[in-house]
Amino acid sequence: MSGIDECLLRAMALPGARGAALVEWVSGLALGVIGEAAGGDHEAVAAETAAYARATAEHPVFTAGHRGTGIAAEEAMVVTGTGYHLLRFLEAPYEGGVFLYLWLDRDQGNLALALRGLRELAEGLVLL
Amino acid sequence: MSAADGHSPMLFRLAEQRATGVLLRDTGALYLADGEVVHAESPAAPGIEVLLTAGGRLSPETWQEAVAAAGAACATGRWLIEHRRLAAGELEISRLGALYDAAYFVLLPAAGPTRFRHGVRHWFGSLGGVPVARVEYETRRRRLLLDSLWPHPRLDAAPVTVARAALRPAAWPPFVPRRQAAVLDLADGVRTPSAIAALLGRPAFHALLDVRRLAALGLVETPRGGTRAPARAPAWFQNIGDDPDAALLRRLRVALERL
Repeated sequence: MSGIDECLLRAMALPGARGAALVEWVSGLALGVIGEAAGGDHEAVAAETAAYARATAEHPVFTAGHRGTGIAAEEAMVVTGTGYHLLRFLEAPYEGGVFLYLWLDRDQGNLALALRGLRELAEGLVLL
Repeated sequence: MSAADGHSPMLFRLAEQRATGVLLRDTGALYLADGEVVHAESPAAPGIEVLLTAGGRLSPETWQEAVAAAGAACATGRWLIEHRRLAAGELEISRLGALYDAAYFVLLPAAGPTRFRHGVRHWFGSLGGVPVARVEYETRRRRLLLDSLWPHPRLDAAPVTVARAALRPAAWPPFVPRRQAAVLDLADGVRTPSAIAALLGRPAFHALLDVRRLAALGLVETPRGGTRAPARAPAWFQNIGDDPDAALLRRLRVALERL
């Protein structure tokens, strides 16, 4: 039932959260951003994570055996020495998807908790 | 913010004045409320009703019901949420997706003269605006992104023609993503990227990206010669009056014709 801003605010309440965004992965459009941006610029983070999301959503390795109408990928993750970068795809109400992005501090973040929280937040955006 | 594009000084002045009204150009209209962009529409970009109905998220009947019940009060979006036809997040995502998509065409540098009608409100109803600077930034980013893929702007407005080489399966790259294949399937030498996007229920900019990528792969013909002028809006579009009902009726007619 929540809107974009409320969803992002809740994402920032997850332990270790440093920044979050809702991004349209075909275009790289940032629909909403909050907190810090890895590298300092939210727009660049949206565009770069969208390129990564597009590869995940469209590459034949990850679409093999997929039969549904939506995309095959549900989540993607990059782990660095200092942080976790989590992407959660959600079905947009139109053709062309969006994903929820969360940047977590590696020491303060709890990966399992964050993944579960991110799933719930993604569902909340499209739940009637 | 750069003032290199002809429309920028006027748009930023309107933002400073916290103006409410509609900015009209040859390629579409940008609606402002209190100096922020609350809606955009362009004949080159599928409207929010096309995005929501073509993919099956809303039935055309539900959409018409919402417009009939709340359009005259400029509250169509709110009606859809209150009657639980759409989640708040879904509405916001599609509203913003459609806004940036149409704004891209409205703010094209070659879109001709700019006029502003004070006081006009959009029938969809505003649910929070986007700062002018943000819309300008995104529009410029999109232009640069397209040119980084394949610097041939004529592809954006020209009919999409499958390259002869693409008819030989051996000429195909190892894989073409499903989304791009769907665009190629609809390329018949007549439909523009915008027309293909409307058929697929996708934002027009997504089709522009796919067509540039397909052209770069040699699967779509790249038109030769200079830049083609962007498609002009029909005359009624450039004469949206101060009467929200008249604007609503015109928009509704276009929406119904598309269904």
